[in-house]
Amino acid sequence: MKKKTAIRAVLFLCAALLVAGIMLLPPPAAAQDEVTSAIRRYKDREVSTGYYEEYEVKPRRESPFVEIPGVRRGIFRYSPAAAKVRIRTRLADSHQGIKFYDNRRCEECHIEQTRDLHTVRANLTCRQCHGGEPIASNAHYYSPMNPIRRHAYVCAKCHEGSSASYAGYVVHEPNPALASTFKNFPVLAVAFWVMVAIAVGTFVLFLPHTVLWGIRELFMKKENKTSESDSQDKD
Amino acid sequence: MSPTAKTRIKRFTPLQRLFHLLLMLAFLTQSATGLARMYGQTPWGHNLGALFGGYDAARTVHIYVGIFMISGMAVHALYMLFKINWRGFPGSLFGPDSLLPRPADIKHFFQHIGWFLGFSQPPEFDRWGYWEKFDYWAVFWGITIIGITGLIMAFPYFSTRYMPGWGLNVAFWIHRIEALLAMGHLFIIHFFIAHLRRHNFPMDHTMFEGSADLEAARHERPAWISRLRQGGELDGVLVSEAMPLQRVLGYVFGFAAVAAGLFLLIGALVNVRYISW
Repeated sequence: MKKKTAIRAVLFLCAALLVAGIMLLPPPAAAQDEVTSAIRRYKDREVSTGYYEEYEVKPRRESPFVEIPGVRRGIFRYSPAAAKVRIRTRLADSHQGIKFYDNRRCEECHIEQTRDLHTVRANLTCRQCHGGEPIASNAHYYSPMNPIRRHAYVCAKCHEGSSASYAGYVVHEPNPALASTFKNFPVLAVAFWVMVAIAVGTFVLFLPHTVLWGIRELFMKKENKTSESDSQDKD
Repeated sequence: MSPTAKTRIKRFTPLQRLFHLLLMLAFLTQSATGLARMYGQTPWGHNLGALFGGYDAARTVHIYVGIFMISGMAVHALYMLFKINWRGFPGSLFGPDSLLPRPADIKHFFQHIGWFLGFSQPPEFDRWGYWEKFDYWAVFWGITIIGITGLIMAFPYFSTRYMPGWGLNVAFWIHRIEALLAMGHLFIIHFFIAHLRRHNFPMDHTMFEGSADLEAARHERPAWISRLRQGGELDGVLVSEAMPLQRVLGYVFGFAAVAAGLFLLIGALVNVRYISW
């Protein structure tokens, strides 16, 4: 009987220590500001480079004071419905009000922006240029991405000596082949299609020409060179 | 046949062959370094870049060799000015020895197509065929377009003093498409016509030796040979075969260049779906 009581006491003590230990441990990583999952975020890219995670932080939870000239002024409430209609070009937190934002990845919405040369070739993460949360709209006055200071605050991190004009390079370049590019980057679209027309025109003209020439010579009768040259020399 | 028999006709001067040789080497280097950058995401592009010291070093090589090509074109333009027969100017520009296009080239083109299809006799070409003139001037247009856009991108801080930054986006796409056009044309069309078609197979070493086989020239360029004969100039331009060592070197070098070009072409085509544009 005493033996059973002793075992129960030991088990109770272990359970109590376990509960106490769990309570004393830091909260699970998911509850911290650092994003924890190396599997969900950036998936294979995360594994391949490993340095994305440290830049990933969840957005802050306050409702920031925002001002949109001519639209609205004051405290914005988080509202999924409002998020769909809000003009986001001048917000201090451009992602304000987006549903489940803190559990989403940049590329879920900005998939096209992950395919440009800075991302694919230079292996830059979104955070390395856009910074931590809250990410201000590019046109927000205090945003590092505002064209008045982008060259110094963002581009110059890697491109030392960049000017405001230099920072006009379109990092998230639209696909020049798309019809929409004629609207948002017309010079690029026109240049692209003119060059494609030149290239295609050249190949359309010379590829069949080359193939036909090759076939024609392949089935040409072999000529008697000696007799031909002799006859010409006699002329 | 005695090795000293004059069975060949002079076609290119040593300086012209040097221009071609330098252009060939520079173009292959530019193709390899450019594709190494473009295909850097793939193992093929990665290994290609490693030949030049890696992804970043490939860019450095690309820029220096590009500047060399632009300089070469400038020197060649000066050379052209010296070669023009100024006494007969401007008529001399449109003579049969000139590489400038003339109306007869258009006629020859359509007659040639007719011959391919069995409708007509082959045209009697003079010294330069229309496809050779196209190749020659394509280099000028290509180096001009690729060179200007390349310089814009190689010196972006300087160039964006005089143009907006988005001009770099435009320059990049012009550079890229023109380079792909140049590589496609050289590695498919030029290689096939110059070396791989039956008349020239396995290699036309005229550019390495400086002279063309008289029989072959008589067959393909009868107007040139008969013009020289009628003018009494034919004997003056006949030469004997080059030394065996020179011919062997020409073959080895030429085959290596063709192999390098085909390697780049096939590698680029196979890996094209694995890269981000």
